[in-house]
Parts: sequence; C-alpha cells; structure tokens
Amino acid sequence: MTTGAAPVPPTVEAGSLPGVTRSARPTAWLGGLGVGVVVLLAFMPSIVSQADTSILLNFFILLTMSSMWNLLAGYAGMVSIGQQAFVGLGAYTVLVLADGGFNPVAAIPIAALVCAALSVPISLLVFRLRGGYFAIATWVVADAASLVISSIGSLGGGTGKPVPGLSSLSPKSFEQVTYWAALAVVVVAVGMTYALLRSRLGLVLAAVRDNEVGARSAGARVVTARRIVFLVAALGCGAAGALLAVSQLNVQPASVFNVQWSAEMIFVTMIGGIGTIEGPILGSVVFFLLQQNLAHEGAWYLIIFGALAVVIAIWAPRGLWGTATAKLRVQLFPVGYYVGRTRRRDRPGSAPPAPPAPPVASTV
Amino acid sequence: MAPLLELVHVKKRFGQVTIAEDVSFAVEQGAAVGIVGPNGAGKTTLFGVVSGDVRPDAGDVVFDGRVVNRLDPAARCRLGIGRTYQVPRPFDKMTVFENVLVAAQQGARARGGVSHAHALRALESTRLSDDANRLAGSLGLLQRKRLELARAIATQPRLLLLDEVAGGLTDLEVRELVDVVRAANAQGIAVIWIEHVVRALLATVDRLLCLAGGEVIGDGLPRDVLASPRVRDVYLGTDATAAESVA
Ligand SMILES: Nc1ncnc2c1ncn2[C@@H]1O[C@H](COP(=O)(O)OP(=O)(O)OP(=O)(O)O)[C@@H](O)[C@H]1O
Ligand SMILES: [Mg+2]
Repeated sequence: MTTGAAPVPPTVEAGSLPGVTRSARPTAWLGGLGVGVVVLLAFMPSIVSQADTSILLNFFILLTMSSMWNLLAGYAGMVSIGQQAFVGLGAYTVLVLADGGFNPVAAIPIAALVCAALSVPISLLVFRLRGGYFAIATWVVADAASLVISSIGSLGGGTGKPVPGLSSLSPKSFEQVTYWAALAVVVVAVGMTYALLRSRLGLVLAAVRDNEVGARSAGARVVTARRIVFLVAALGCGAAGALLAVSQLNVQPASVFNVQWSAEMIFVTMIGGIGTIEGPILGSVVFFLLQQNLAHEGAWYLIIFGALAVVIAIWAPRGLWGTATAKLRVQLFPVGYYVGRTRRRDRPGSAPPAPPAPPVASTV
Repeated sequence: MAPLLELVHVKKRFGQVTIAEDVSFAVEQGAAVGIVGPNGAGKTTLFGVVSGDVRPDAGDVVFDGRVVNRLDPAARCRLGIGRTYQVPRPFDKMTVFENVLVAAQQGARARGGVSHAHALRALESTRLSDDANRLAGSLGLLQRKRLELARAIATQPRLLLLDEVAGGLTDLEVRELVDVVRAANAQGIAVIWIEHVVRALLATVDRLLCLAGGEVIGDGLPRDVLASPRVRDVYLGTDATAAESVA
C-alpha cells in the first residue's frame, strides 16, 4: 500500500510525531499462526481420508466464495445475489480451455482473470442500480449468462460436458492436485481480501460504509472503490467456479449457475459475521459441520442453515464472530491503525517505549 | 493575482424556494471571509455548490482559474476544496486517527508515512491527539466538530469551507476553535466560515458577506456590513443583539 513516490514532499519533523502501527498489540505471532495453519492444511491429503480431503476442498471453494461476497456486501455495501454468474463463467472458461488442450489446473488463474475482465462490462450495467435493484440486476445477469451458455451446443448445451485433460492422473494424485489448487486459491482469496482491507482502499470502504457523503467530501472516489471490489469479487468467484469444474471434472449450467451458490455465500457470511474477515471462515466451518452431520437427511442442512442465518440476522446481526469478539476486540486480521502515545518534548522522561515497528513500510 | 474561488451568476432553487437568485463573488488566495444570514438563507446550500454536493441551476464555480462545475465532490476536494458539514459526518466505527487518515490519503493523495504525518498534524492542530485511538462514534459534540475540522485540514486544502463549526460550544471552546482556524489561515489556507456566532467570526475574518433572500445583501468589512441597515433589517432576535453588540 505504500509503493510509489509520495506526491506531497514530506515535511515531517522526525521524533515530534507519535508512531503509527496497525494494531495496539504485537501481531507477529498471528502471521506465524497463519503460516502454520496453511502448512498443516497442505499436508492434510496424506493425513486424512480421501473423503475428508474432498470435504476440505469443497470447504475451500465455499470459503473463497463467501470471502468475496463478504467483501462485496460487508465492506462495499453491494448486496449481490448474482455471484454465481462468475462461478459459472469461471467453470466454463476452464471447460473451453481444457477442450482446447490446455491443462485444466493451469487454466484456473486464467479463468479468474477472464471473470475479472467480464466483470467490467457487467459492472457498467448493474452499477446503474442501487440496493435491492442492484441485487436483482446481478441475478438477472447470472441467469442471462446461464441461458446464453446453455444455448451453445459446443459447450454441451443445457446438459453440460465433462472436462477433459486430467484422466491420465491416478485418483490419488488427482485428489491431491485439485486439493492443493483449492488451497492455493483460498489462501490467495483470503490473503487478497486482507491486503485489500489493510490498504488505502480498505480505509475508503470503511469510511464510505460509515458516511458516504463525508467520505466523498474527504476526497474518496466511491465509485472507483466499488469497481475495484466488484472486480476482485468476480476474480475470486471465478476461481471458485474454475475449481468446481476441475474437481468435479464436469460442468453443467444448472449446477454452476445455480443461485444456491449466492444463497450459501450469504448464509455463511451472515452466520459467521458480515464485515469481518474471520466471519466467512467461521461461517464456512459451521456450514460444513452442519452439512456433515445432516447429510443423510437430504437438503435439510440447507434449510436449517438458512433458518440459522435468519435467526442470526435478526438477533445477532454481527454474526457469531462479531458477537463473540464484540467485547474482546480480538482481531485475527488487524486492518486498523493504532497511534502510539505522543512523546512529549517538555517531559522527556515520561515517554513510553516506542510501539513495535509498524508492519507497513513507511515512505518517510 | 487571480482569485482562488469565484462564483459567477450562481442560481439555485428548491421547487418554489429561491436559494440563490444571481450570486456572484470572489475570494482571494489566503483570504478569511465570514458568511452570515438568517436561517434558511441558503448558506449551506451555497457551500454545497462550491464543494460539489449541490448542482446549481445556472452559473459557474471557478476554482483556481478552472471551471469545476462538472467535477464531483471528491475531485474538488483533491483540487484543494476542503469542507466541514454543519451536522458533523464522522466515520463512527473508525478511530479518530483513521477518520483523518482517509482524508490525508484521499484528499491530499498522500501515502504511507506522509499520510500518517498529515493526519497526526491535523489532529495536533485541532487538539485531538489524545483521542486518536478512540472510535469517532464515542465523541462528544465539541470533539465531533473538531474532528470535522481536522478531516478537512488533513486534505491539505487551499480553501477551507467551515459550516457553523462553533455552534453549540462554550465561550472557551469557541476561542480555542478560533485559534485553530486562525492558525490554518496563517498557513495560507483561505477560509470561508459560515457562523451564527458573530464574535467568533469577528475574531477571525476581515471580510463579511451577508446572504438573504437569495442575494448577497452585504459584502465588506465586518463592522460595516453588520452596521448596514439592510443587514440589520433581516436580523431579528438573538442575532440582532449579537450584531448590535459589535456594531
Ligand atoms: N435538498 C433540498 N431539497 C429541498 N430544499 C432544501 C434542500 N436543502 C435545503 N433546502 C432548503 O433550502 C433552504 C436553505 O437551506 P440551507 O441549509 O442552505 O440554509 P442555511 O442558510 O444554511 O440555514 P441555517 O442557518 O439554518 O443553517 C431551506 O429552506 C432548506 O429547507
Ligand atoms: Mg446551514
């Protein structure tokens, strides 16, 4: 966030201003914890059963999607119910590339970029509307995309098509490769969300959320900020859709363009805690616990999960994470700022020790 | 030297209500100008026209020699027009420092340590340094007004539009606020200050405009404007006493 030359020449008297950090407490251990969790997850395919590996893979896909929806709705105030448009487009991009002889796994980042590119013209359309109309417009776009793609015979029409190119892999190594691809995608998605919220853009989003008119008058380019978030969310949902195509080795319009994806993103985010990075993580865990325990009851897990989301939306709108940490002010992903105590020149002995070095690079 | 801000034949109506019939005036670089006028005269609306929140029906806003009619509030802020709102608009769930930092990063387009320094100095000059880590939503009225001012200052403006930042404050608080505004003005920032607390204005500005009925009915040295019969005519009640006490 601090790359590039500062347009304003710095005139800072070193030492006369307090230090600025990104958290009141040291946070290095959180980074260590994060790395530890990712490394542990990377070894999971050799630790747990194939069935559990596949559950984790789907967990990563859902977490990627809900992190993106959280970014859209929780941070940028854009309630979309059409994110399945990008899930579907991501899946079909993989199919098209694989049909052309491209490795499906290597096609995942390309599919994400294609979705990001497609989000630009789509945003020109849906950004004309606000609130509920925006939400409905996104759904219309998703349905339109589904209809168009279902009508293309070479893509398998309404019944879809298998994804070629991975049949040479043994079931075991297929399982591992797709798992690691999903892990990479979810780490990038959550990491990108975190980096974005820590950046200047993140501060703009928070300001706009609190007072849009005030933010504009302080120089914040609100529409630009929303465009960037919409693009990032398309990128993430596209990658999630690409993962679906690769892991299921089959793409069907009714499945990848299903509005159920948006419903799950919303439920997960609402239950976990909207407007926090931790929320979708916790929400995804709850979702999978419920799904695993109620799987034999058919679609009941989704009904129970939806009901839970409604209950939480009404009585605990900050979600499980937000409610649990309201008093503690715990943050696994610190995005705020903390100003150290002013070093008073008139009382040299009273200055507290300087706070830990800021994790952000300083241009001064 | 060309004026910093020029309003040229600005016209604004809300339905049948005329806010500005044909308002023209110019403000020089580094000037300190006060605006008075009865409630509902259209003072705040005029600020909106300058800052880009309100689109005039006709007329031009020229800032630093450039017609800015088509620029949105963010773009105008980035050019150097900083404003406060009569009813403060803090970012409640952000800390005081973060409130001001957004303004430094967006309005002044500063990054990293430079933006931190802009924000910290804006807090220092408005005496909010001790509240830097508090949530803006927890501030009292005085501090909210200061925050509003700090945010505008952090955008490193060349023109500062202050909308009743002294309203509801005690004498001591008003004096402190006057010091802050004078300090900003002394640094070369032009100030236009809308205020019903006339003594705050008199301590700060060397030119006073009086707005009423969609017109500028007084423009000149503060004493002369407050003494003019037309201005005294539109003032009733408390404002008349305020005007009288200095006239
Ligand atoms: N968006 C709007 N739509 C319709 N009428 C408006 C709007 N904004 C302001 N007005 C009306 O325009 C008139 C002028 O309002 P404005 O706030 O500019 O006055 P003011 O001089 O700042 O008053 P005060 O001293 O009370 O702050 C008022 O009658 C107000 O009700
Ligand atoms: Mg007003």
